[in-house]
Amino acid sequence: MRGTLNDQSLIYLQIARMLEDDILRGVYREEEQVPSTNELARGYNINPATAAKGINLLVADGILYKRRGIGMFVAKGAGDRVKQKRKAAFYDGFVKPLVKEGASLALTGEEITAMIQQAIGEEKRK
Amino acid sequence: MNAGILKAEGLCKSYRDKEVLHNLDLTIEPGKIYGLIGRNGAGKTTLLGILTAQNTKDSGEVTYDGQPVWENQKALDNICFSRELQATLFSGPNNLKVKHYLKSAAIYYPNWDMDYALRLLDEFKLETKKKISQLSKGQMSMVTILIALASRAPITILDEPAAGLDVVMRERFYQILLEDFAQTNRTFVVSTHIIEEAASVFDRVIILDEGRILENAETEELVGQFRYISGREDVVDRVCNGLQVLSTHQMGRHKTVAVRGNVGKLAAAQEAEVDISPMNLQNVFVSLCGHGDAQ
Repeated sequence: MRGTLNDQSLIYLQIARMLEDDILRGVYREEEQVPSTNELARGYNINPATAAKGINLLVADGILYKRRGIGMFVAKGAGDRVKQKRKAAFYDGFVKPLVKEGASLALTGEEITAMIQQAIGEEKRK
Repeated sequence: MNAGILKAEGLCKSYRDKEVLHNLDLTIEPGKIYGLIGRNGAGKTTLLGILTAQNTKDSGEVTYDGQPVWENQKALDNICFSRELQATLFSGPNNLKVKHYLKSAAIYYPNWDMDYALRLLDEFKLETKKKISQLSKGQMSMVTILIALASRAPITILDEPAAGLDVVMRERFYQILLEDFAQTNRTFVVSTHIIEEAASVFDRVIILDEGRILENAETEELVGQFRYISGREDVVDRVCNGLQVLSTHQMGRHKTVAVRGNVGKLAAAQEAEVDISPMNLQNVFVSLCGHGDAQ
């Protein structure tokens, strides 16, 4: 029913995150228009107020801005701002769960660090 | 669209000696899509009937824009309650045809939009010459949906519109509803048992339980207050201290609880050795209205 949306977090957060992903991937470039609240509502079968909440979140973060009477646009430097925002959340969202899972498996700090180094090496060779 | 507030205060209703609505207050604000959910026999259809002056009440008052709705045509002109059709009418088969329903709706609803009705007829592939008793359950739902939408009433109420529709048609129905809402911004109240696929459509959700309003809240805000917490019994108990525990499920030392609490406390729980997962509206509904039946 809701396209690619899921139950795992609130819908307006998912809308914001999808728009951010699309900005990072170059689906929407700087100064380009993003879908309107009603287009998002139709596209994902969600309430327009929910879609608007997602968009407003990105406006508050300076990632989107409104051109009066036309619509919402990607701000200059939006990609960098998305990256900054995600870096700030990286520690809580990825590093801490990784360490927590490692600890519950009784992996030592050295073992975890070694695995991270290995993964970094593999990523570089790609 | 210029809609007023639909308000119920102190509603009580009994059938014989069984009270089905207990001193119920409800405010329906304009320009929102409300979802009405409740278990079988919770009083949903009775409530909707009284809100639209199609059913009597024992006490209390229903007003639209400050005016009582009972026998008040001016107020009722603004409200459409499209009821489920039945294959039988007055103990015989319902031999009225689809076109008869359209004709009477056109007379009854002052904002009736015939062009829109014809477009929907086409979309739903309904034949106007067919008798209601010859329609499938899904087609009957389509007729009630069509009448509700084409009524263009500032407050439009649909009782179980999704019942009988197949999954493709249900999805299409919510799409059409949202398209119309984007255009008109009128108020919808939609009752349904198929909760999860409708959750993202509702601005607000009203949970009716045993004749009382349990919640009338913004959907996402409500859902955001609930979590499942699971892990080792003693750790789960420690984490849940101070949170409202709605249900508990235990297997050996493993315990899963459904909790409600403020987001700060839930974030604090995140630190401990437990798994915390979000709920969807259906989970929230079962936690609040399950009364242990779901175990």
